Amino acid sequence: MRRLSGWRGDVLAALGALLVAAVLVLGLGSNGLVDFIIRFGIFGLLVLSLNLLIGTAGLVSFGHAAFFGSGAYAFGLLMQSGGWSVPAAILAALLWSALLALAIGALCVRLSEIYFAFLTLAFQMLIHSMVISWVSLTGGDQGLMGGVPKPPFLGIELARPTHLALFAAACLAVSAVLLRQVIRSPFGVALRMLRDNPQRAAFLGLSVFRYRLGAFVIAGTFAGLSGVLMSLYVSGAFPTFLYWTTSGEALFMIMLGGIGTFLGPLLGAATFLFISDRITAFTEHHGLFFGAVLLLLVLGLRKGMLDWAVEAWRSRRERHKA
Amino acid sequence: MDLGELAACMGSLPCVITQVSAGLTIGLLLFLVASGLTLIFGVLGLVNFAHGTLYMLGAYFALSAYELTESFLVATLAGTLGVAVFGLLMERTLFRRIYGADVLMQLLVCYAVILIMDDVVKIVWGGDFLKMDMPETFRRPPLLIGGGIVPLFYLVLFGITLAVALLLALGMSRTRFGRTVRAAAVNPAMVASLGVNTSFVFAAVFAVGSGLAGLAGALSAPIRSVVPGAGVSILIESFIVTVIGGMGSIGGALAAALLIGLTRSFGSIGFPLFTEGLMFLMMAAILLVKPSGLAGKHLA
Amino acid sequence: MSKTDPGGASRRGLLAASAGMGAAAITGFPMVARSQGRRPIRIGMPTILSGRVAQLGISSRDAVLMEVEKFNAEGGLDGRPIEVIVRDSRGVPAEAARLAREMISDGVDILFDGEPSSGGFAVHEVVRETGTLTLHINTETSAMSADPKQRFWNAFRIARQGIHDSIAGGVYAAEIVKAKNLRRWMTVSPDYAYGRDTTAEFIEYLKYFTPDVQVVGETWPKLFQPDYTENVTRLAQGRPQAVYSCLWAGDLVAFVEQAALYGLFSQSQYFAVNMADYTTLKQIKQLPRGVHSGNRYLSSYPAQPTNAAFGRDYQRRYNNYPTNWAWQAATAVHLTTAALKKVGSTDPRQLASALRGLTIDSPFGADGKVTMRAEDQTLVGYAIGWGTTIPAEPYVEGIKTADWNQITQLEQEWKKGKGWA
Repeated sequence: MRRLSGWRGDVLAALGALLVAAVLVLGLGSNGLVDFIIRFGIFGLLVLSLNLLIGTAGLVSFGHAAFFGSGAYAFGLLMQSGGWSVPAAILAALLWSALLALAIGALCVRLSEIYFAFLTLAFQMLIHSMVISWVSLTGGDQGLMGGVPKPPFLGIELARPTHLALFAAACLAVSAVLLRQVIRSPFGVALRMLRDNPQRAAFLGLSVFRYRLGAFVIAGTFAGLSGVLMSLYVSGAFPTFLYWTTSGEALFMIMLGGIGTFLGPLLGAATFLFISDRITAFTEHHGLFFGAVLLLLVLGLRKGMLDWAVEAWRSRRERHKA
Repeated sequence: MDLGELAACMGSLPCVITQVSAGLTIGLLLFLVASGLTLIFGVLGLVNFAHGTLYMLGAYFALSAYELTESFLVATLAGTLGVAVFGLLMERTLFRRIYGADVLMQLLVCYAVILIMDDVVKIVWGGDFLKMDMPETFRRPPLLIGGGIVPLFYLVLFGITLAVALLLALGMSRTRFGRTVRAAAVNPAMVASLGVNTSFVFAAVFAVGSGLAGLAGALSAPIRSVVPGAGVSILIESFIVTVIGGMGSIGGALAAALLIGLTRSFGSIGFPLFTEGLMFLMMAAILLVKPSGLAGKHLA
Repeated sequence: MSKTDPGGASRRGLLAASAGMGAAAITGFPMVARSQGRRPIRIGMPTILSGRVAQLGISSRDAVLMEVEKFNAEGGLDGRPIEVIVRDSRGVPAEAARLAREMISDGVDILFDGEPSSGGFAVHEVVRETGTLTLHINTETSAMSADPKQRFWNAFRIARQGIHDSIAGGVYAAEIVKAKNLRRWMTVSPDYAYGRDTTAEFIEYLKYFTPDVQVVGETWPKLFQPDYTENVTRLAQGRPQAVYSCLWAGDLVAFVEQAALYGLFSQSQYFAVNMADYTTLKQIKQLPRGVHSGNRYLSSYPAQPTNAAFGRDYQRRYNNYPTNWAWQAATAVHLTTAALKKVGSTDPRQLASALRGLTIDSPFGADGKVTMRAEDQTLVGYAIGWGTTIPAEPYVEGIKTADWNQITQLEQEWKKGKGWA
């Protein structure tokens, strides 16, 4: 148990999960499942990155989709310009998202709590307004049209859904391992201390600004990767990617799954997508049913599902001991 | 950008009168929504993301009441009181459970309420965009005041909203209830220890805030389309007002709402394509320079 | 995760049942029973059933169901009925794309894309890859069929097109401009692709016919903006002789109501291309007299018995009026069923080649016929007319029908100018 809890354990777990995904994708050959795995990869990555801010650093961002969207647009534009290979364009899109996060983060992380949330929201809406107005570059409200070319690289053809599903799952698995290391590292420990006990952290000479900015940039970069996957999936980029509703959905997924556990947001993303899809499939009153399910879950558990389960398990163990 | 046009307008009295009167009217309507939002946040600590839904319901209630009675007064009252009662019920059954919960929890509950109510409205009134009629007396040609154009109905809106804003300000500063509310906002535990029923105060504040949003919805139903999802756009604008004015400050919300109203009406002449962006820019700038807003106490 | 496998017969049954139930709940009729033994022809349709434009999506779906039911009642395709699966995209392009993929995975034979332009282009990209026969029934943005880069064999547009409307509107407006000497123009249109393109094209053709027209001011409300007072006062300041607008639906209703209070309709001539749609006309409480409008959908125009019957049937069945999205959806069914009968199977390649150049009798045709033009796979020959509003039924009078020869010729020049022809 102990020995497997380090990074080796994470890598093994990620490989295991990837293997399961590969068996599902290649073995069952169901298009719906392939689509679900692609979307799970996309949103899983988005919520994991956002939870670095919320769960670890205690910064509730309402504007995380700004980086999701910027990754999608940067990647889509580069691929449409021709002459870029997929890996090169992905790296460039990540770099762009990181720079954007650096600029916005430098302004935002000075604030905390609801003010931080609203400032990130304001910047996201500003970027949204700019994307809408800059029609010649971004296509305005219609988004990037005409498709995103996906030339094969290293034998990977992303135009084929099965390849894209495995690629998305691999991106998620690798990112999850990396993010887990970030959280475990001294850097992550410092972030948690800043969250729980800022006085003590200040006393130890930790720079609030630098640590939080670091977390903001890392989270923004991974959100950019998830945006890249999204633009591969829908073969375009749309302004809704960086609208507040997208940030909102990521927040809801995290809330559903739980902010206190590393895997909570992933469970939340899967549950959110699953329930939402099922409801769309049987009724046109999506909001009514989906809202009711959300209310029951939130008010029933009063916390994310995995947080609730972990706590229930712990208290049961306590009782056993006693 | 059309700054020449803007300068020409500023130099002509009729143009200034037209734009200022329109800007103030729209600003005051916005204030009704934002004041409820800021009041609920200030006293209950609840960021009510579902506030736009209350505005939408006010419009629907008023529309139905007008179709039944053809009375503008009844429609306005139905919108206001109906939503106040609705808000009260929501507070007792739902929102009461999430006071003091973290903002994410509040966000999720409010989001669920928005989703549910948008669908409920669609089921009850249909997916069509609707319009409330107005009495013939309001439909006369616009008044010319100093050369500026002011429609009679806008004058009515201006009068009602201004009166409500003044009543609200007086009520908060002069009445016993207002003082209790302000004290409860600062220190609910102390107010409770003085024997005040804070649960009652909270419910009353939520009802008043809801009623204000309902009133705004009812008043705008004759000039705006009434449609499921109408709450969202008004919510964003109200949040901008609340943040610029300072979360929790009624006076700040008033100043910010008027500022937004005037920015919109003059912005449509000077920089027609960037009025929206300008509002978010103002919001970001205020948060960066003075996070507590124009009038707020510094909380950050 | 294995629970998400959407394949399998049980789920298909569920889908069909739910589509039928949806139809029954709305209409009071059960969906036509499937004939025994033979697989139904399945049509998937993502559209917007919630939010601000829900009514348009609903009318589109209703028209499809109504026309499909007629086809099925007449025996379908050699006993094979059509089965329609409708899903709500909530106006989110990525969701529209996902639904399209899901429907294709579930094995639909044909896709009716009921999205407006934004979602329409998202679906377009999906079917570019999958090769599913797709009929875009609500995308009006010209580029979708006019730009050769956007064209591929399996996608067809069965909707009016921005450029056709603009040419027709320009010709009509130029006549009025000459007669009434209207030189100073302003525009008020929604600030998004459709609004900007359509306005630019209208002005282009207006100037083409009457070069001395001047646009002295523009104001661009956001799409779905709740209030238009600032745009109204801007128009009041500009004192134009004529105003063009391509605002639509709820946005147009709010604008007209506020502009009326400011007395704008007595100051200038208004050209509102999207006014003559019942949902709009019915909601404006005091419809100003004399606003120039193109026809979106009117059961009185084109004046054909079949069109009047369509309006009457729809109204009787749904207790509501058809919209522009309704006639387009009905036309999609008419063309599809005609092609199906011609081919006798659902082979997409054969159906596509049957559709190309197909001309059918239509209640909505300018000469009683509409054509799926082969070269760019878009609908032509549908009735376009402009007239002026009156406050009561039939709401629009003095409708002048646009000349398709002229439209086609100018459209060709426009395409050349864009490098598309």
